[in-house]
Amino acid sequence: MKNSKALQNDVKSNSVEVTSRRDFFRKTAIYSASALSAASILSPVSVKADEAAIINEVPWGIKLGDPVDKNLYGIPSPYEHNNIRRTHDLFSSGDAYASVSMCPIHESEGIITPNGLFFTRDHGGTAHVDPNEWRLMIHGKVKKEIVLTLEDLKRYPSESRIYFIECPANGSPEWRGPQFNSLQFMKGLMSAASWTGVMLKTILDDLGLEKDAVWMLAEGSDNASNPRSIPVEKALDDVMVVWGQNGEALRPEQGYPVRLIVPGWEGNLNTKWLRRLEFSDKPWHSKEETSKYTMLQKSGKAIRYFWVNEVNSVITSPCPEKPWTHLKKGDIVEIEGLAWSGHGTIKGVDISFDGGDNWIEAKLKGLVLPKSWTRFSYVYRWDGKPLLLASRSYDDFGNIQPTIDQETSAIGVESVYHRNAIVTWEITSKGECNNVQIRKHKKA
Amino acid sequence: MFKLENTKKLKFTLLSIGLSTLLVSSAMATSKETSVDGAVKYPVKDGKYNSYYVNTQEVKDFNIGRAVTKNEITAWNVDVKPDGTGLAEFDMKNGEVVLGDDGKPKKAEGSVELGNELYDAQCVMCHGDFGAGGKGYPRLAGGTKESLKIQRLNPADENPNPDTPIRTIGSYWPYASTLYWYIQDSMPFPHPKSLTNSETYALTAYLLSVNGIQYEGEDLEDEFVLDKEKMMKIVMPNHDGFYPEVDTKDPKQGVKNMTALLSDPKIYGTGTRCMKDCIKEDTQKLLLKIENDLTANANQPVLTVRDLPKIEDKGAVLAGQKTYEETCVTCHGNPALGAPVLGDKAAWAKVVEKGIDKVYHNGINGINSMPPKGGTELTDEKMKEVIDYMINSSK
Repeated sequence: MKNSKALQNDVKSNSVEVTSRRDFFRKTAIYSASALSAASILSPVSVKADEAAIINEVPWGIKLGDPVDKNLYGIPSPYEHNNIRRTHDLFSSGDAYASVSMCPIHESEGIITPNGLFFTRDHGGTAHVDPNEWRLMIHGKVKKEIVLTLEDLKRYPSESRIYFIECPANGSPEWRGPQFNSLQFMKGLMSAASWTGVMLKTILDDLGLEKDAVWMLAEGSDNASNPRSIPVEKALDDVMVVWGQNGEALRPEQGYPVRLIVPGWEGNLNTKWLRRLEFSDKPWHSKEETSKYTMLQKSGKAIRYFWVNEVNSVITSPCPEKPWTHLKKGDIVEIEGLAWSGHGTIKGVDISFDGGDNWIEAKLKGLVLPKSWTRFSYVYRWDGKPLLLASRSYDDFGNIQPTIDQETSAIGVESVYHRNAIVTWEITSKGECNNVQIRKHKKA
Repeated sequence: MFKLENTKKLKFTLLSIGLSTLLVSSAMATSKETSVDGAVKYPVKDGKYNSYYVNTQEVKDFNIGRAVTKNEITAWNVDVKPDGTGLAEFDMKNGEVVLGDDGKPKKAEGSVELGNELYDAQCVMCHGDFGAGGKGYPRLAGGTKESLKIQRLNPADENPNPDTPIRTIGSYWPYASTLYWYIQDSMPFPHPKSLTNSETYALTAYLLSVNGIQYEGEDLEDEFVLDKEKMMKIVMPNHDGFYPEVDTKDPKQGVKNMTALLSDPKIYGTGTRCMKDCIKEDTQKLLLKIENDLTANANQPVLTVRDLPKIEDKGAVLAGQKTYEETCVTCHGNPALGAPVLGDKAAWAKVVEKGIDKVYHNGINGINSMPPKGGTELTDEKMKEVIDYMINSSK
């Protein structure tokens, strides 16, 4: 028993047992608050009954917790069981092996995704590689063709960099209209982490490239391999061969023990379970490279390679999963979101309350790094009226996030990949949040 | 601003008088470099890459790793280029040439007919008859190059166009080399890298034939035998359907073409930073809402409540479950493919009606589009175990 809380406990027991006295107390409290000169510093009215969570001792406060050896690898609180990756049959190629899982970005905090929530894209299931049997072969137009073990690789000096990875199919179901009333399913094919590994340039400078080594093939050791051609110029710029993800070994879903990081470029170029880097004077035109990762245009011709994830943004709070239904008219709320660009660094974000007719500048916050998620924020007093909330980002390359009409008038609606048009949320007078689109409805 | 040679000289001088490379880095940064994607390149400047500090010590000759052997490269380097580089001449195993009965290297080649047999045994269950596609799995044949110009309009629009571009091997893929490499490396889906080079040629030949691809002006009949030489002469209908050109005489020109494309956002769509009265129409009339929220069919309900989860006792992993999950699920986990799906009580009740011995027999010897043992090399015992698992999980 907390003696100092005797009075409150007394009130509490009265309020539970004697209804009329509880009502009396509540009325008195409201009256007193508004009558006091200090009323303005108090939270707006509604002191109802005392909260049991404060008045009663909580179960975890009156007994021993877990011993330190309970979870030798920590796990999230069981109350967080809904903060999970989610899947949908629509995103699979017929099964759960050549498929994706979506990152719960509506629950994401800051600019780093916890390893267990990082989105997944596999072409033949998640491979489980024995790190002792893992080898990296570097061959072709290099002066020294070598094989590295994991131990070998880790002898190179390492760097740690924060980069997002985005699947170019992020948001692809929405080319022809809004389909998912969920931020996770709309934009969850991306995540971000602090990656640790060696700059590929360090290895290549050491081995020496032939003069006509212009293209590099990166291939995985899993059953699908997913080989891809990457220009050597990129390899020497900012590509990394990484083994670390947010301070620990890569997760199997992210390519344990080693993957490639190709900052800002399509997720599929960031080869998981990496086993081979070959150098050549010509690109390869690998399997998904010709059959899938191309962008079909209105002309019937396709852009052959489209490496960069363009400038993009989305408001993450509110969102369909995190509406404003708990807010009252006049409440102050932070509008928050993520902006990112594979072309460089986010310079700014504008937000609109009327579906893109008028815009104001939001504030960036936290670390602003190249090819990384960037947080933006705008503190707002909601008058309880319906809104059409939208965000529009721009980067230091000079790219500005397009409207849906600007994007589709350039490339049509059959590209499948690289949808970066402005996202609009409809806020109803009840505070519900819905995924809508502002676009011209064309007649066939 | 320094030219590169000057910079090098200066760098040498600075190093020789014991200064750090920091000054050089900052001097170089004044020249504005663009990255290969036409965007921003962040040089290491004053010991920093953007906001990150970098160890700028120059180290040479790490001497890490060991030399590769020839067989190791042969074993792993199975890639195939449009010009025929990498196409197999012989059947190979573990990096070495396979010898035929006559003791000579076995030539890699395969007929349309053999391809058809292999297709019906190992591919049809997912990709459908003649490559027509299964629900979810890629369609392999049909469509035309002309169809690529179709733009399906928004279903919410007036008179939406129901047609869509059809992207298959025959209508879309620019090179036949991709098909060979794809099959050899990743197919059949549940057990890739199991086909010989000859079988890969056969399947390639069959898929080219069902797509109406010709060899020297002739259709590919059953007797047609495909090998490396003939592969190199196959021209795909949509070979000119992609831009920019990247296979250029000067290898660097191809990359420059890509840089030029990606440098121009107008090509793929860009916005403007209009701040006031940007929409000249009634916004409400432009508003498009969700008709059918697909979130409702998510495999996990979209919830954000913070409560304690219901604990399910999943029990021990049942015998056969592992086999099912590794192999059988490809067909028996997808209702679109016609095979009885795990958990489908009605479908399995009908199967079991035949008597368990008959079910074992069908599983082991094949039935309908299911090849013997589902195309696996499981023992009869393992087959029975997984059949039991599927039946017991579907009661």
